[in-house]
Amino acid sequence: MELTLTINGKTETLSVDARDSLSDVIREKLNLTGTHVGCDHGACGACTVHLDGIPVRSCIVLAVRCEGSEVRTIEGTRGDDAMNVIRRHFHEKHALQCGFCTPGMLMMASDIIRRYGRPDEKQVRSELSGQICRCTGYMGIVAAIVAAADELAGEPAAG
Amino acid sequence: MASEESVSTADQWVGKSVPRKEDKRHLAGASNFVADIRLPRMADVAFVRSPTAHGRISSIEKPEEHADRIFLLTDLQPLHPISGGPEMATFRNAAYPPLADEKVLFVGQAVAMCIGCSRAVAEDIAETVFVDIEELESVMDAVGALEDGAPKLHEEWPDNSFVDATISEGDIASVADAPVKIRRRLKMNRQATNPLETRGVVAYFDHRLDELVVYTSSQGPHVMRHGLSLALGMAEHRIRVVAPDVGGGFGGKNRLMPEEIALAALALKVDHPVRWIEDRNEHLTASVHAREHHYDLTLYAREDGEVLGIEGTVHVDAGAYALWPSGPFMETSMAARNLPGSYRVRHLQIETHTSATNKPPIGPYRGVARPGACFAIERMIDELADELGLEPVEVRRRNLVGPELMPYRTAGGLRLDNGDYPQALSQALGMVDLPALRERQHRGEPDGRKLGIGFAIYTEQSGHGTAEWVKRKSRVVPGFETATIRMLPDGTVHLLVGIQSHGQGLETSLAQIAAQELGLDPSAILVRHGDTALSPQGFGTFASRSIVFSGGAVAKASRALARKIKSIGAHLLQVPLDQVIVRGGAVHCGGANVAMKEIARAANIRPEMLPAGLGPGLDVTETYEPPESGGVFSYGVHAVTLLVHPVTGVTEIIDYVVVEDCGTLVNPMIVDGQIIGGVAQGIGTALYEEIPYSENGQPLATTFGDYMMPCASEIPAFRIKHRVTPAESTEFGVKGMGEGGAIAPPAAIANALNDAFRGSGAKFLETPMTPRRVSDAVAGARAGEQAA
Amino acid sequence: MKPASFDYVRATTLEEAVGVLAADDGVTVIAGGQSLLPMLNLRVTAAETLLDITRLEELKAVRETGEQVFIGALVTHASIEDGIAREAFGGLLQRVASKIAYRAVRNLGTVGGSVVLSDPSADWPACLLALDATAVLASASGQRRVALSEFLVDAYETALEPGEILTGFEISRRNAGGWGVGKVARKSGAFADSLAVAVLGRAGQATRIALSGTASCAQPMARVAALLDEEPGAQAEQLARAIRADITDAHEEATPYQERCHLHTVMSAITEARQSWS
Ligand SMILES: Cc1cc2nc3c(=O)[nH]c(=O)nc-3n(C[C@H](O)[C@H](O)[C@H](O)COP(=O)(O)OP(=O)(O)OC[C@H]3O[C@@H](n4cnc5c(N)ncnc54)[C@H](O)[C@@H]3O)c2cc1C
Ligand code: FES
Ligand code: FES
Repeated sequence: MELTLTINGKTETLSVDARDSLSDVIREKLNLTGTHVGCDHGACGACTVHLDGIPVRSCIVLAVRCEGSEVRTIEGTRGDDAMNVIRRHFHEKHALQCGFCTPGMLMMASDIIRRYGRPDEKQVRSELSGQICRCTGYMGIVAAIVAAADELAGEPAAG
Repeated sequence: MASEESVSTADQWVGKSVPRKEDKRHLAGASNFVADIRLPRMADVAFVRSPTAHGRISSIEKPEEHADRIFLLTDLQPLHPISGGPEMATFRNAAYPPLADEKVLFVGQAVAMCIGCSRAVAEDIAETVFVDIEELESVMDAVGALEDGAPKLHEEWPDNSFVDATISEGDIASVADAPVKIRRRLKMNRQATNPLETRGVVAYFDHRLDELVVYTSSQGPHVMRHGLSLALGMAEHRIRVVAPDVGGGFGGKNRLMPEEIALAALALKVDHPVRWIEDRNEHLTASVHAREHHYDLTLYAREDGEVLGIEGTVHVDAGAYALWPSGPFMETSMAARNLPGSYRVRHLQIETHTSATNKPPIGPYRGVARPGACFAIERMIDELADELGLEPVEVRRRNLVGPELMPYRTAGGLRLDNGDYPQALSQALGMVDLPALRERQHRGEPDGRKLGIGFAIYTEQSGHGTAEWVKRKSRVVPGFETATIRMLPDGTVHLLVGIQSHGQGLETSLAQIAAQELGLDPSAILVRHGDTALSPQGFGTFASRSIVFSGGAVAKASRALARKIKSIGAHLLQVPLDQVIVRGGAVHCGGANVAMKEIARAANIRPEMLPAGLGPGLDVTETYEPPESGGVFSYGVHAVTLLVHPVTGVTEIIDYVVVEDCGTLVNPMIVDGQIIGGVAQGIGTALYEEIPYSENGQPLATTFGDYMMPCASEIPAFRIKHRVTPAESTEFGVKGMGEGGAIAPPAAIANALNDAFRGSGAKFLETPMTPRRVSDAVAGARAGEQAA
Repeated sequence: MKPASFDYVRATTLEEAVGVLAADDGVTVIAGGQSLLPMLNLRVTAAETLLDITRLEELKAVRETGEQVFIGALVTHASIEDGIAREAFGGLLQRVASKIAYRAVRNLGTVGGSVVLSDPSADWPACLLALDATAVLASASGQRRVALSEFLVDAYETALEPGEILTGFEISRRNAGGWGVGKVARKSGAFADSLAVAVLGRAGQATRIALSGTASCAQPMARVAALLDEEPGAQAEQLARAIRADITDAHEEATPYQERCHLHTVMSAITEARQSWS
């Protein structure tokens, strides 16, 4: 089947199978391998991307459903100022070890900050439930998101 | 051993929380895991796996239309069976075949492999393969497996035991009349290691280099190369193994697995690259399993709480095969030898059994055996405290090995090198305010939940070398590490090491060590690892060894390089060698200096500038083995406070304190990260993670819907305090600490649950302590009370 | 872990969608896909053709009239969490929505999909049963309405006929009696071991309590509900007796642990409902 979508700001038309998940297409057809697959059944959050601005688990989204949609992956956030603030806090607070969960965490983190403004630790922990990180024990991730939100809220022009 | 005198404080990198070099690529989504590798004409592989726990394969039918894309064991020949497990006459061996051809021994065992242009297509083909299996009665329980009449997995064996052995120290009979005797059965259930990146292999034959290239998500590519060479009967110089970015391992990626051999063999048969990415279902049902231990222990003690002896049996449910290289025996012997823990108990008599069952093979998982041993002994200590009406902390204090006794050889034969265990306990106690918690406990919680406080103490053998691994009869003896340090013409450095870093931050901490010795900034040093074509012989990262071994090799190689740099520097400055130092990227003599890059230029591309008699090049390879082969011991105390609902059994950890001592901290931020990550996994073992099996051998946790992985909502914030007792024998005084976090949580949490229900009769002797188990324990105790 | 092949069609109007369903009985509706796709990926279920209904705008509507509230089948858990129809039932829908799975799943998962799946542990069936909702079903031959108590038949089984699409739920606006929710799960976001929703009666309306986490679909707890209507001040002992009797009907062969959980969640839901009312 033919699929047209906007991926990281660029419109692409691709030939896909009906059964391809969005993560399959992102990784195998578009070769954007920053989106990781940890379970392929919607239960780990590693594959989180933004679909029309909101986070979804791309392993349980049919690619063909995304006809005409806008998809943003981790690769599409490299020039995003807010995401770069989150990244810096991830780096400083040791919020990653093996790095496999990191792209999904970042995509989720930016949405948590978008919705809450300045979430507290408890809110961040509850919002991250379902995002598995096997390495870090979450403490650095939670601290990084709280700190990034605080910094972003302190700069009215940001975002 | 201190580093050489010539380092100024400006170059003091060891001990600094340097942010990690590896973060950048991961944060950008630019890392390269096995599944990210793209090769032209690469095809995907899916395995046909056994639906039956135990059976004899009558036939395997390949449908005509896909026959050329389906491979059985016979299609992959020549292959050589390789046996895992210790090199011991008493250890029975059963090589784990890459694909089953006679019998299947667990649900999920690979039987055939199929190639497709995508994974989906490969799975379509796999569905068409018909495997006819004559079902046999399965063996699902490690204790029952050894009973007379149990069906046998390996028919040539006399029974289902890989090995039986007795660990004995002192004279247990001499304490048989002790006034206090406590017998308990304890169990740790089976789980998977679950790195977030599953296993994965990409393999192809490179005709130009005449070599087989195998990318695999592994903790130790060199050892895997050796194993592949044995299994394929192929010369080792024609095999290149690469472990690129690896998304966590935790032990689960440190054995040569059937899929790795099968993919490598397949790549030699077909003319295109092949790829297999394990899915989570395969991971949960056919990867490395861990932890399943049964203990039946009797503790002998005096009325004042002094523990005199431990007697009993340990059964390790090892699954169907012994994984190459080490097999499961180490698991069993370590469980037994670690039972005395950090205590002065002198009499130990443990029968051990390593049972074969119709489940996937057990392998190492962070902490290897010690979480079980720690759970057993630390629970027994609390049971003893209950029996005697003492505070568990008091009983611990009475038995701990004090610093005045160090080095101390435990009844398990482990040499505890140094540290102050009682002081660590006091420190943890100071951090939790036990009297206030007891007061709160007494008042009760407004929502009806129960408050519990639990302690556990652990030791972590790390950096053990040749003698220890030989004692364990290991067929691969990871007794050293190698580092090659190479300064390039512009003064920057490549550091090539034989370990593998998959989250431990070794690209940063090893650079810190080299930077310290060479007077450079870590940014000038690039650490390369995980590729047999690039890095010198090594064993990979496991057993809390890398900072000790590889750190030592890096320090040694860096110092040798620094000596040569100084010789050249002194020559260029025309001053005596003993008057120069390296610092801040230059060689100095008083006020004069010559930049490192000038020296590097001379050594690499301007040999005429070198002093007479000194060869060109700045390239040093050193191996290192720590002088204390029995290892150095990190240790720590965990103190957990939790609230538990007596009806639903749901547990919430409200405070978690860790006091630990791993000697010198090379990068404190990374050390804390390792502790926290380890404790989180330990909490998983304690409360959530489990792969139960049905009676006929069907796995009951096959997705993350049934297998509970703890998330940020389940894991608390931690409070960590470090004590620093540098190891006497290692470089910088470091001790390994990668596993310790995961050892104590099951014990500490079980003790806290026990504390919450103290006096009720509810027992917490089995992990994971799921809501159901907790609720049943409490209800069972109530019912018992009513019946009485 | 990839699905077997299937075809895919997308409808943009309800008429078109029911037409596709009428023409071919090998068609399976897909809404958020948050249950269906994991099941397809695991190959525990298969489909010949998936009919994507996510562009049926009329099924995304929430309409509040004086008498009742209509919630379109395609309304997502997240939009309810974010406040759609928040006032209608004093925040009950929002509370239930916010505890289902995880945000990224809630962003696509729909109320309709959850009820049609009738997973024994799902949240919406219990909630909507407690609210006495009516399912509105459309097919090529017209529309029909089925009370949720009849719509839910068993685990993974509903009264949905071949050719039908669930368009939404009608819920009569209740005098804001109190409500409460009790939930036990192995970890946050996991499917419930037990989930109870209680909506207390007021001004002629009956109390309704529903339970999920049974071996079948969401079940009414009729005895304890009746007891509360007869004796609004019934004591714990009395309530527990009624609840136990209800559990016996609702969950045959429940383990002792399940019984304890059910008793606890129902009791918690009632307690919360009473508190929110007073
Ligand atoms: C990790 C994870 C955790 C979850 N945890 C929970 C939880 O705790 N509680 C819970 O309740 N749910 C949970 N879910 C399920 C989630 O709520 C689903 O969104 C929901 O059950 C199904 O909604 P959907 O729109 O995604 O339906 P789909 O997956 O698209 O469809 C589900 C079924 O309903 C049918 N269907 C859907 N819409 C219609 C319609 N309008 N008319 C006719 N048939 C229709 C489909 O044919 C299919 O059979 C979880 C899901 C995941 C991935
Ligand atoms: S890979 Fe998609 S949620 Fe795990
Ligand atoms: S950093 Fe490894 S899974 Fe999160």
